[in-house]
Amino acid sequence: MPTQEQNQKFIVPIGPQHPALKEPGHFEFTVDGEIVTGASVRLGYVHRGIEKGTEDRTWTQNVYLLERICGICSHVHVTAYVVAVEQLAKVQVPPRAEAIRTIVAELERIHSHMLWLGVAAHEGGFDSLFMYSWRDRETVMDILETISGNRVHYSANILGGVKFDIDDQKRDFILKGLDFLEERTNHYMKVVTTDETFLGRTRDVGIMTKEQAIELGAVGPTARASGVTIDIRDSAPYSAYKTFPINVITDETGDLLARFVVRIKELLESYRLIREILDHMPEGELAVRVPRRIPAGETIHRVEAPRGELFYYVKSNGGDKPERIKVRTPSLCNWSSVINFAVGHKLADMPMILAGIDPCFSCNDRLIKIRRDNQSQVWTWEDLRLHGIEYYR
Amino acid sequence: MNLPLPSIILLLFFPGGLFLLASGLVYEWADRKLVARFQNRIGPRWFQPLADVFKLLSKEEIVPSGAIRGLFHGLPIIALASALTAALYVPLAGFNASYSFKGDLIVVFYLLSALTICIGLAGANNISRFSLIGATRTLTQIFSYEAPFLLALLGPAIATGSWNISEINAYAQENIWMILAQPIGFIVALIGLMGKLELPPFDAPEAETEIVAGALTEYSGRGLALFRIGKDVELVIGLTLISAFYLGGLANPLDFLWKTAILLLVTAGLQSLFARLRIDQTVGMWWRVGALLGLLQLLAIILGRQISPLF
Repeated sequence: MPTQEQNQKFIVPIGPQHPALKEPGHFEFTVDGEIVTGASVRLGYVHRGIEKGTEDRTWTQNVYLLERICGICSHVHVTAYVVAVEQLAKVQVPPRAEAIRTIVAELERIHSHMLWLGVAAHEGGFDSLFMYSWRDRETVMDILETISGNRVHYSANILGGVKFDIDDQKRDFILKGLDFLEERTNHYMKVVTTDETFLGRTRDVGIMTKEQAIELGAVGPTARASGVTIDIRDSAPYSAYKTFPINVITDETGDLLARFVVRIKELLESYRLIREILDHMPEGELAVRVPRRIPAGETIHRVEAPRGELFYYVKSNGGDKPERIKVRTPSLCNWSSVINFAVGHKLADMPMILAGIDPCFSCNDRLIKIRRDNQSQVWTWEDLRLHGIEYYR
Repeated sequence: MNLPLPSIILLLFFPGGLFLLASGLVYEWADRKLVARFQNRIGPRWFQPLADVFKLLSKEEIVPSGAIRGLFHGLPIIALASALTAALYVPLAGFNASYSFKGDLIVVFYLLSALTICIGLAGANNISRFSLIGATRTLTQIFSYEAPFLLALLGPAIATGSWNISEINAYAQENIWMILAQPIGFIVALIGLMGKLELPPFDAPEAETEIVAGALTEYSGRGLALFRIGKDVELVIGLTLISAFYLGGLANPLDFLWKTAILLLVTAGLQSLFARLRIDQTVGMWWRVGALLGLLQLLAIILGRQISPLF
């Protein structure tokens, strides 16, 4: 074997194409028998140039472009963007619109966490849990389709408000769905915490202490499973979270089991929050007018995506297009925790540790590293075009 | 029941040869369908395993560089051949075994292991890293379940006082079902069969989320088809053996059908109940629990045989 001759190491490549990965990423695990002794990650296979693309589109068009950064947390990306733009335009969004935004965001969190539950179970070879959780996830997909007309890209947000209302009929449909989901979620909680074979794969695997989580900059449920109280909905509330506070779910152990428990408890917390908002739905308009040109300035906005803190930086030069939009997705913050805690575990644990942070590859690919022959620091458009042709030849 | 057929038909059509291949595919379909229904899926249509085999047979077989050609092509054939040979000594479809001699239980046991060893060798023959790790795991697993599985099959043999499968089958028909007399042996044998066939939760050697398809990653086309048929045949033989030994023997085709169907239902249920075990958990479980239970059962049988004449 070539690699063995070179450095006496046995490297198992996972990706870019591999059954464990639903999106392309490349991981190299150096193994000694079954024990992993080293790990590295290479990202950037699905860099789509969306940040650059926003600069050629108007503020309104960008709502639809940014929604397509992620197919799972599509709504929360747009929420981060529109709130930032509304801050720049100094527009006050009606409370009913904020409530609807929050309901859709929580429904999205439910579908994302249930999707993750299935994927993580599949990585551990527990296909029954995978199939059942995905079957039940259809309930929340149906709810989202009923209220928005779409299953994935809901297009709920517009600049200055939301596009659709939640009337009594839709409200009843949501509440009915939530009752079913709550029952199923309690069942999954029982399965995850009592099934011995599954516990054997999750308990004491990939332990991250609170200090390490802070040091490595982990975010979202991954950090909360290590006991870090970090949740943007709580620490910097936005939209309706200001009036409807959430309870931050944390767990102390920091292993894979804790990540399961935290996410499932967050599901239950989301059901509670949606019910509370639906019970106290503010009356009023759905949207206000936002000017076509946004006043010059720059701002940031953070939201809690299903995977953790999502960060948007928006800069306007006073025109009808943004000057710069920077996105940092939560998956990017959590990679270092995977690479650090892979070492010392068994190869069989790798898919579950990888899935444990709920990675979303295409969302976090912000740049692509090019090994270039051309040594100049600045490339012209023509250089880039030629490079692109050469790269794919 | 005896079959008054010339040996060429016994070998090629019934109950060996074609019938065995067909029943292997049917049992694979039943297994997949049952697991699918347990998992709330639709599952494959009845001809899906056959369609898979035809598709694989019509595909080009690529021999990866670094593999020894002869072994690469030869191992699947040896694997299937040993599984088919093993079938001649078991009471397939409820008929008396086509051939039998003193001690054929041990021969069948080794022929069944030959398939697993062939899969391990086929993985080790490649330079693909997934194949190599899969091969290591396959061979590690064979060392863990083989001893308890053999002990579990020895229980009925000792109770009968014979190492001949046909004689054990006949003894089982006349006496109380051995699942009642030796419940531990039955459980160990059934779970041992699942380990042998690398069914979940013992599918670490071919865990797709870790090592793609394990030892068979580099196989495509004919080789893969032969290995798969070999495994299907082994499933039928394993179910036949366990129902003949523990479920009161196989006297006629109807007996065979309903007893193996019940066993298949149980294995399908077990397959969908658990998460995949890591290879170290598998080995630990078999040696700490499986082997000990098997030994305990054996001890109980021997003691029972010593004591019973006294009463």
